Amino acid sequence: MTDLRVKLGPLSLRNPVLTASGTYGFGEEYAPYCPTRLLGAVVVKGLTPRPRLGNPPPRLAETPAGLLNAVGLENPGLEEFLRSYLPRLRALDTAVIVNIAGFSVADYALLARALSGQAGVAALEVNISCPNVAHGGLAFGADPAAAEEVLRAVREATPLPVIAKLSPNVTDIQAMARAAERGGADIISLINTLLGLAIDIHSRRPLLGNITGGLSGPAVKPVALRMVYQVYEAVQLPLIGMGGISTWEDAVEFMLAGAGAVAVGTANFTNPGAPVDILRGLESYCAANGFARVTDMVGLAHN
Amino acid sequence: MALIMENCGLGAPEQKLYRLVLQSEMARTAQPGQFLHIRVAEAPAPLLRRPLSIAAIDAAGGQITVYYRQKGLGTELLARKRPGETLDALGPLGRGFTIPATGALLLVAGGIGVFPLLTLGEAALRRGLACTLLWGGENSAFFAAAAPIAAAIPCRLATVDGSLGTKGTVMALLSPYLAPAAENEAGLRLAACGPYPMLRALVGPVQARRLPLEVSLEATMACGLGACLGCTVSGRNGAGARVMRRVCADGPVFPAEEVDWA
Repeated sequence: MTDLRVKLGPLSLRNPVLTASGTYGFGEEYAPYCPTRLLGAVVVKGLTPRPRLGNPPPRLAETPAGLLNAVGLENPGLEEFLRSYLPRLRALDTAVIVNIAGFSVADYALLARALSGQAGVAALEVNISCPNVAHGGLAFGADPAAAEEVLRAVREATPLPVIAKLSPNVTDIQAMARAAERGGADIISLINTLLGLAIDIHSRRPLLGNITGGLSGPAVKPVALRMVYQVYEAVQLPLIGMGGISTWEDAVEFMLAGAGAVAVGTANFTNPGAPVDILRGLESYCAANGFARVTDMVGLAHN
Repeated sequence: MALIMENCGLGAPEQKLYRLVLQSEMARTAQPGQFLHIRVAEAPAPLLRRPLSIAAIDAAGGQITVYYRQKGLGTELLARKRPGETLDALGPLGRGFTIPATGALLLVAGGIGVFPLLTLGEAALRRGLACTLLWGGENSAFFAAAAPIAAAIPCRLATVDGSLGTKGTVMALLSPYLAPAAENEAGLRLAACGPYPMLRALVGPVQARRLPLEVSLEATMACGLGACLGCTVSGRNGAGARVMRRVCADGPVFPAEEVDWA
């Protein structure tokens, strides 16, 4: 029996397979296909202080082995989240990580403070990497000084474990990771989506309502894996790896590259049972290779 | 998982229309207007499932029929699947049509938008309701392939090129069926599916007469389960405020007044 438990700094989870924010709603939608009790954690849709309608449709464009999305942080806002969504999330038999997004440092601090006193929130994932909203999100994720400032504000506002979610849309991912570490993050998750574009050749216009969108899916996996590998060498913090993970073999690669846990996102759209399939595969891989603990494989690619 | 019983072309090959019959437990609970979310490939391309409307339900026999037009790689891969193979299909998903208990039902279809209306029409006829299908298409070649699938429902046809039925879009068939405002003694309800411009053109005259109308919308979908917010359309809530509605989970069938047609 492999010990599947993972400890990411202050955050202890029953296993290393999480769901990626934005792909998993508020945890209930996939329940008929993937029991939440089998997940290491559910990371819920990005939350902003005020409700947001998000971007105009179309919001999706399928690409070769990938998906562009430009949802634009549609969410019910903090007040409605606390009233209607959090009570239902508490009922899920898994850890709940709340992804927070803002348009100013004060927004992030406000969300962190408001969520800190709430039962049922295991950690905060600080989204400094959404490519689909103007004036925010990515603006904090592309500049090390801004990222550090946001993380510091969140750190000072909450005793909860703080996860910094990094954007791949940067020149130096190691510099961003070090900034998040300096700001006080406990954990780093990466990567968010890669900025992309699709054009409708019939209308001769960009296909997405937002013009650009974030690319996810198997197409981005090598980029994500490279960044996890590089960030593992740059910081001491535990990492949550994501970006195109669809199979257990993908998950093993990310853990060998240095991820202490992985998140499954776009693969849920193709196979809603993907997180469970990946968990079973990790277990078999450990058994076949003599790893008593799933964490035994973390970072082995650096040896 | 569903077992493929039949997957064959309809009419002339250039129409690229197919009928897919599945043996599945899903038939026991499926309702008119719901859809199946079908995985067409094991490979990572095409990545997303394809949502296909349920066109016929045989609950006792455990069979569901869908129709589709081969348009891109996803439906091309689907068309290659053979009877006896299994198909990874999620469903039945979404919110379907209201099946009226009394009155009369007018179905308004543009092209292959007829698919989700077929099972609604048949359910209405089984309940003894008067049901008519107004159906617009490109030309007589389309109807030569497609019309047999609606054989059970009384039909009026229109073609854009005038090669069959009334010349024009389906809107050219509509006016005799709409009672004057404030007179709806027959208890007429409408259900429609087709291209967005057709639905928008339909909404005005129907709402002016205060007739109940449900529309089935189409959208590119990712999860199909209401989680990813990728397929949303702009809508209106009861108070008239703008809200986003998920085609997959809040629809695909919406009362016309819940959609923002502007």
